[in-house]
Amino acid sequence: MAVTPWSSPLTERLSDRFTYVAGEFSTYAGQRFFTATSAILPALLEYLKTDESFDFLVDLTAVDYPQRAQRFELVYILYSYRLNERLRIKSNVAETEKPPTVTGVFAGANWLEREAFDMFGIEFAGHPDMRRILLPDEWQGHPLRKDYGITQMDNDWVRENLGIDSGQ
Amino acid sequence: MATTFLDSSELVLNMGPQHPSTHGVLRVILKLDGEKVIGAECVIGYLHRGVEKIGENRTYQLFAPYVDRMDYVSAVSNGLGYCLAVEKLIGAEAPPRAQAARVILTELNRVASHLLWLGTHALDIGAITPLFYTMREREEVLKIFENYCGARLTTHAFRIGGLQYELYDEFEEQVKTFCDEFAGKIDEYEELLTGNRIWVDRLTGVGILNAEDCKQYGVTGPVLRASGVVWDVRKAQPYSGYDRYDFDVPTRRNGDTFDRYFVRMAEMRQSVRIILQAIQQIPDGPIMARIPKVLKPPPGEVYVSIEAPKGELGYFIVSDGSLRPYRVRVRPPSFVNLQALNKMVKGALIADVVAIIGTIDIVLGEVDR
Amino acid sequence: MFGFPFIRVLRAVFLMDLLQGLWVTFRNQNPSKIYTEQYPTERPKVSERYRGAPRLNINPDNGETLCISCNLCALACPENLIVVGSERNEQTRHKDLITFTYDLSRCMFCGLCEDACPVDALELTQDFELASYTREGAIWDRQMLEEGPHPARYK
Repeated sequence: MAVTPWSSPLTERLSDRFTYVAGEFSTYAGQRFFTATSAILPALLEYLKTDESFDFLVDLTAVDYPQRAQRFELVYILYSYRLNERLRIKSNVAETEKPPTVTGVFAGANWLEREAFDMFGIEFAGHPDMRRILLPDEWQGHPLRKDYGITQMDNDWVRENLGIDSGQ
Repeated sequence: MATTFLDSSELVLNMGPQHPSTHGVLRVILKLDGEKVIGAECVIGYLHRGVEKIGENRTYQLFAPYVDRMDYVSAVSNGLGYCLAVEKLIGAEAPPRAQAARVILTELNRVASHLLWLGTHALDIGAITPLFYTMREREEVLKIFENYCGARLTTHAFRIGGLQYELYDEFEEQVKTFCDEFAGKIDEYEELLTGNRIWVDRLTGVGILNAEDCKQYGVTGPVLRASGVVWDVRKAQPYSGYDRYDFDVPTRRNGDTFDRYFVRMAEMRQSVRIILQAIQQIPDGPIMARIPKVLKPPPGEVYVSIEAPKGELGYFIVSDGSLRPYRVRVRPPSFVNLQALNKMVKGALIADVVAIIGTIDIVLGEVDR
Repeated sequence: MFGFPFIRVLRAVFLMDLLQGLWVTFRNQNPSKIYTEQYPTERPKVSERYRGAPRLNINPDNGETLCISCNLCALACPENLIVVGSERNEQTRHKDLITFTYDLSRCMFCGLCEDACPVDALELTQDFELASYTREGAIWDRQMLEEGPHPARYK
């Protein structure tokens, strides 16, 4: 299986409308994806939701590639009920960059973005409630980054709140 | 003096992590105006075990037992989703006999999960008797799982590429006996609950979530179907041979708690229908595809989702060509469904909050992973 | 009869729906099959494939262990809790098993070690009574693995 380019009326409309969609439209294992710059994401998702009927945000997550200049890759998976199709949108974000939130477009992105912040440290500009969701609020460190060890913990928090020396 | 004493402002009530009705360690901070709820905020993460981080540190086959422990009530479904995702990544497909057996075990697990939901939901509302009856039926299903793979709850039933264990001799007979008796048992639950005025009064009009809000929040599963959207991953994007079986997708229109109860009861009947069809026609043949023992999928990423009993369970696996996955992301249906709690409890009474949390059918192991 | 659903009114006044539910409960009194297992007095029969306590099997003919120290079980364990100690026997050119450590406290009974063993030496048995008083008591050495746990039986 290899990554093959994908072109369809949808890709043409997207290329016309959003001239700075970075990267090509591709397919891998039958699943279509493309890359976009993070600044246009709310507008892109709004367009896909209202005009192209991709009205279901399936997932919003991130992948950490520490060797790249733009370290995180945000992944948005959309689904269209009418067309029965899935679409993946990827966006490269640097470590200190704050991508815009999409909670205005999809209300369900609220907790998903909070989880991306919690696990990776990606802050979303304009999010109504940007704080940790799964880990305690005072935890230091972002576990799903590649430089965070598998048995590493925030020892200060553990000592202060649990009264033991270390969780290990 | 009297006016400050009778000052009716907002009261914040903590429905803490240790609570018999929150189905796990879920903390809900309720803002009340008297007895009516004006807002609910969920605090989760008490059961966070870092499954996604573990996934980056284990090989593909060795990660499969961890996946069972997320939605621990329906471990077989979780395993199915993971195996399908890795099989898509390596480009393999399970042989037809394995696919049929997978469908039977997954539908049995759907029945078991909905039975547990019914028992605990009824218990929260106050009907204690259905709990005993549903646990009795669930016992039969768990016995079948134990006979097949050796464990009742954390089954680790499927392997990447097919099945590890051959179906045992009495499998067909036991499954058929279970299915034949089960239809009568669902009738018994309905006799207990559906016509009962207390049940109807407690559940109708409570926790309404209309179809538009469901789509906005990304809610899937029986909650979505009770709001009127006819969508089931098994029909929309069939996997593992589901397109060979004939079944309906029950939906209702109002989107309140009673409709969700109705949809899940009907889903149990449809599951039995699928099992009976599958068990008639299990093909012969191998149970495991030919895949290498040391799995090194080509670099790439896939997203595969299945219809778990709670909703759409998805696995997004990124491979960089090495022995271990680069990133395993689990799209948990309970996590996404729980976001809609704030919308559903507005204007309800405190007793209704318990009913609404029960009706979304969350399992905290999946919400927190 | 009177211009409104008379039967429904009767049903409501005389609590027919609640009595219908009560009738289900009464039907189930004195059931033919009791599902409760009286545990300490009757031990439940678990299935043949049950994944319980591990055991190192011994060849019945000559009383030696079946394990060939191939270390596949240690590699197959997701938790890395098996440690196989062996030394190479110069005469037979095979490896002899000396120590076999299995940490039961971290074991999740997934069965991957049992599936990996090529000679069926490591097997997960039907034993589920595995409590111990200390954390160290849950780390089993070779002798414990070959003989199995001996829980104290109370009469």
